[in-house]
Amino acid sequence: MSAVDVEDLTVTAGSKTLVSNVTLAVETGTWCTVVGPNGAGKTTLVETIAGLRRASHGSVSIEGHSLAEMNERERAHRVALVPQHPVIPSGMSVEDYVALGRVAYHGLFRPPGANDRSVIESVLERLELVEFRERDVMTLSGGERQRMVLGRALAQSTPVIVLDEPITGLDLRHQMDMLELLKSEVAQCELTVVATLHDLTLAGQFADRLVLLDHGEVKLDGAAADVIRSDELADCYGMKLRVVDVDGADVVVPVRK
Amino acid sequence: MALLVAIVGGLVIGPTSIGTWRVVGDAFSHVGIGHSRLTSLQSFIVWQLRAPRMVMGLLAGAMLAVAGGTYQGVFRNPLADPYLLGVASGAGLGATFAIVDIGHGLSTPTWTPLLAFVGAMAAVTATWLIGGRSMRTGVGTLILAGVAVASLLTSAQTFLQQQSSAGSITRVYIWLLGSLASSTGWGPVTLVLPYVLVCIAVCVAAGRALDVMSVGEDESRSLGVPVGRIRLVVIAASSLGTAAIVSVVGLIGFVGIIVPHIVRLLVGTSYRRILPISVIFGAAFLVFADTIARTVIAPSELPLGVVTALVGAPVFVVILSLRRPVAV
Repeated sequence: MSAVDVEDLTVTAGSKTLVSNVTLAVETGTWCTVVGPNGAGKTTLVETIAGLRRASHGSVSIEGHSLAEMNERERAHRVALVPQHPVIPSGMSVEDYVALGRVAYHGLFRPPGANDRSVIESVLERLELVEFRERDVMTLSGGERQRMVLGRALAQSTPVIVLDEPITGLDLRHQMDMLELLKSEVAQCELTVVATLHDLTLAGQFADRLVLLDHGEVKLDGAAADVIRSDELADCYGMKLRVVDVDGADVVVPVRK
Repeated sequence: MALLVAIVGGLVIGPTSIGTWRVVGDAFSHVGIGHSRLTSLQSFIVWQLRAPRMVMGLLAGAMLAVAGGTYQGVFRNPLADPYLLGVASGAGLGATFAIVDIGHGLSTPTWTPLLAFVGAMAAVTATWLIGGRSMRTGVGTLILAGVAVASLLTSAQTFLQQQSSAGSITRVYIWLLGSLASSTGWGPVTLVLPYVLVCIAVCVAAGRALDVMSVGEDESRSLGVPVGRIRLVVIAASSLGTAAIVSVVGLIGFVGIIVPHIVRLLVGTSYRRILPISVIFGAAFLVFADTIARTVIAPSELPLGVVTALVGAPVFVVILSLRRPVAV
């Protein structure tokens, strides 16, 4: 049984097909990144895996349980989402924001219990958010804010975490920090990650596996090193790409035609 | 504390002067402590005229304020008030219908609140039927449906009013401005009390859900909140409670929008605090405003809606200028 099982998934909006016949199995503890040009259907695919969109055809299962048969709370126990543009609620403290991740456990009518509090505490510490805990979420920098959003998702204690462009708007250093942080969480907590990333170099360096999506269809699915070197990748972007080895790391470089 | 002062003020202050301690003494004598020094007329004024009116003020203020706060949370819109989905225009049409006596024989004190209540609930139901289906994609359509229903019913109400006699127009106008004057005796209070208490309790209990929902529709669903169901329940409770209140006291404006904002400026953005404190502030504020309304130009009365705005607006402006404004 895979952590995430996508079977023959098609998602439509009106008459437009956004994702078409996608089949994908992500093993437990694997980091799978979906790459592809703008409009390829990456966000739609990961939002459907996170349960925010309904499949028009096919199914998504998390640890063998079909998403379609879960209510919101059951789903929030199994899959957490770091959205591309999270809504930052002014006036809320960082600690309260991270604590939102526990709502699916303590419910809407009870305060967080002892177990919830210890999970929140541990997340705040691991993500170095302790010194900000009382701060208004609006006062954080981009990097701190993104760490806090990741903290909320980790507080959900789910086996699967879905991230949609988690490093958008961060500088190079913070992009790297964010992905390293996630990598260590993956190792520590046996997390399964499904992410989208525009940066092919970082996608290649951090993911175990890349799925290339174009026009809603999977064009290629394989080990990161293979996908970034493939002709299909260059074709999808409609440009020439070269992979350069820098100190043992693959760097994807666009080349002017 | 403010609530206590407002309650005692509501009982003690009035055109007939009755001493504070004599009223308090009388209250204690009813539970077997000490002896009352009120005459039977004074006792009647306090317990049959002022007390029911004061209690209705508490209920109306609490309900309108908590409904306003709830609407602001559920619609994530600072301009939301309890009348957003057409409650006011529906109640207005119902009341006008009764007052101008279209059906002949409806123009009695019983029919006005009943038709106002039916009108209010019909308006909200219509709004929900038109805009509620798209709730999965957000609340924009519902708000617009509310605007459409409200304008339709208001124009119908204006037409009815314009067709009626000058006497009726005055009575409709007075009703529209809102007043607690009709709450003499305990009848109206006992009529709305059960609905209003349940509705207030539901709204206050939704505080934590509204806090989570401040991160928006998609994210709250991914956090495990059944957004659609929560919205349905809190909108139903706010609307039902507001309709019950409006049917008895008319359209008291301003409380529903300004009290939750004042509270938000004082205690922050968490609905877990805003909603219960709005209940207390709203109750105290409306009784206080009514005490002013019925004493300033006694023996006649100022319209309550005018007083709530006259008192509330400056208070709001002062707090707004002293505190950093916070988003909803």
